[in-house]
Amino acid sequence: MSVAIVGSGLAGFTAFQTLRRGGLAPDEIAVFGPLDDPAGAFRRRAAAIRQSEMRSESDGHCLATSFPGLALRSALRRRSPAPLLASVLDRYHPTVEEFLSHVERVRQRSGWERSLRSGRIERVRAVDGGFELDGHGVFRHVLLAPGQPGLNLPEELRSDPRAVHAYEPHAYARRVTIVGAGLAAATEWLNALDAGAEVVSTRRREPRRQPLNVPRDYFSRRGLSTFHRLGAGERAARLRALLAPSFPRGPAWDRPLERAAAEGRFRVGPVLDGSEQVICATGFLRGFDHDPMLARLVGEHGLETADAWIVLAPDTSVPALSDATRTIALAGAPAQWAFPAADTLAGARYAAHGFLRRIRACRTH
Amino acid sequence: MSYTLRGRVESRLAALLPVVAAACALTAILHRWWPVEAAGLMVGLGVALDAQAYHRLLAYQPGWTALPLGAIELAALLLLMRVLGVSAPLWQPLALFAAGWLLAQVLGQVCFPLLRLGYAEEGGELGRLGGVAALAVGLALAGAGATAYALRPPVVRLGAGVYRGPLVITRREVLIGEPGAVVRGGLVIRADDVKVENLAVDGGENGITVDGVHGTVLEGVSVSGAKLDGIHVVFAGVVIKNCTVDMQGSPLGEGINISYNMGMGMSMVEGCTVVGGMQGITTHSSMTDIVRDRVSGTQQQGIAVTEMSMGTVMDSEVTGALGIGIYCNDRSTCMIEHNTVVGTRSDSASGNATRAGYGVLSSFQSLAELRGNQIASNPVPMGAVINSEIAATH
Repeated sequence: MSVAIVGSGLAGFTAFQTLRRGGLAPDEIAVFGPLDDPAGAFRRRAAAIRQSEMRSESDGHCLATSFPGLALRSALRRRSPAPLLASVLDRYHPTVEEFLSHVERVRQRSGWERSLRSGRIERVRAVDGGFELDGHGVFRHVLLAPGQPGLNLPEELRSDPRAVHAYEPHAYARRVTIVGAGLAAATEWLNALDAGAEVVSTRRREPRRQPLNVPRDYFSRRGLSTFHRLGAGERAARLRALLAPSFPRGPAWDRPLERAAAEGRFRVGPVLDGSEQVICATGFLRGFDHDPMLARLVGEHGLETADAWIVLAPDTSVPALSDATRTIALAGAPAQWAFPAADTLAGARYAAHGFLRRIRACRTH
Repeated sequence: MSYTLRGRVESRLAALLPVVAAACALTAILHRWWPVEAAGLMVGLGVALDAQAYHRLLAYQPGWTALPLGAIELAALLLLMRVLGVSAPLWQPLALFAAGWLLAQVLGQVCFPLLRLGYAEEGGELGRLGGVAALAVGLALAGAGATAYALRPPVVRLGAGVYRGPLVITRREVLIGEPGAVVRGGLVIRADDVKVENLAVDGGENGITVDGVHGTVLEGVSVSGAKLDGIHVVFAGVVIKNCTVDMQGSPLGEGINISYNMGMGMSMVEGCTVVGGMQGITTHSSMTDIVRDRVSGTQQQGIAVTEMSMGTVMDSEVTGALGIGIYCNDRSTCMIEHNTVVGTRSDSASGNATRAGYGVLSSFQSLAELRGNQIASNPVPMGAVINSEIAATH
């Protein structure tokens, strides 16, 4: 066996599907991770913020190719062209339930269990002919998809008993302050208002309104080629700008907020005083140094970093450790240096495609 | 999808490859060049729009834009075909374009993403397949062009002088009359795709006879002294441009007579001058556009569209006809627009009330639609008889 995926979440799962599509059998791939269910972490977070629809569109799935997307599957299941029409208009968003059942279907038929090796990899070390994974052997090609390194709770709120992270299970108090300005924050504004709460939105900046996490041209070579040409400092600055909080436009978001504001139940303000509950919709810790495995990889191999990111090649591989005979690449949020939307399903597919290309090109594969 | 410029062009050329192949096959089957010409225009137009417009204006191209962009490209294609003189029945290039558009959607949305894992993230680029497709399209069009060049008809030039006729053309060729070249005794065309330019024909049963052939073009010909018709076209598709027909010595002949070519597409008579004869320009069971012609001094109708014909008479001038200026007769459908009809004379000697000097007459279950005509100095400006209609708008 020469190929390993470290991480059994959605990014690892998408990579597994891509490798399977690329002709590798389950027995040729080792997946290391603590979770049987690749959607387990996503499921818990979506449940915590009562998310009902995906932000992603028809191609927000775990398969190797963008077609057939979830819109087509939904149209066939519902026997209605409506999802396809909505998809053509960029208005189709699969429900969380649809997405989770898609993951389950794909998991059952793809041989995922045969490849899965339960356990967490703490250390990855470059050795002759590949990478040694914590005593599990040497693998020529390794994709690291460790997932998010942890929830980001603002320093000043860590000891506040009223504070809860949006991605942790919670109910809503009567007076709630919600910190953050991204999709999770916007979802929580509506949740709390639905629950009858008065809501104060506390945010450092006004949210950008855009359909996807980053502008659409950054999902293809059109935007990426310019991005990849930026120097390290410029690219880090661009990434910070691109990854600023945002949520989609539309009356489904605006009308309830306008109504609540008119009733005096929603306002934007800096003050937490008087709130019975503080919900931190502040996303995840950002940066390789929050992930012990990545931090150790960087430290032990002296990898180049910029700001909070490991410097990667455009295909998400680590240039210093990858060559014509072996590959180590990243997927998920740590791969944003190569693909700003790497923490999305499309981003997972991008990293997986790059990884598969390198395996195919490897002379000794 | 956010296409790169290369991705746009590669995706387009790969999608057009089957269209170009089909066009080459159609050309071979139909013995007509319009499919290849239309496919070549689709390629050129598409690549030009990709490079000059779409790439600049559409950083991201949502799926729904395929419809309006397709409509724009279709309109531009038809306009270009018209400007460049690529003639084909309208529905055929429409069908070719529609098939190509549909195929492009299926390929772009379904086949390319399945064939190439990174199709979307690579901005529509197809790698080696893109290069091969571009090469194949180029080779196919270049091959078609080379074939057209190799098969271009021979050009025969008649120098100044008188040639004894009837001259019979039995092969595809271009016959050009130099100044002073006259064929005496008539010209007969018996082969497809013959073009005659600037030739004077004198005498003959008919001046020029075109019988049972396709694709005849008569441009700048002059005919005089024919015993029957000046230009006689039967069971044939023809384009006649800028001709002169003098029928003053032939009171029973017709200047230009186009008959029984209903199944052969539109024929055209444009920019001709006809003087004398029984009728100036007449069509029987045919589809013909009669545009910018001048007819004068005929012994009967100036222009007649008759026997279940369909046609347009437009921007023409009919002067001094006897009985009827423009005649739409015998279950025909006529669009009569922006013509001038003056000085039609009453044919009282015939005792026929329908020949009382009508500027325009619709007769025997025919429909004439008139718009913007100047009808002056005629005993009766216009009329409809025997279950016919005339609809005039300004």
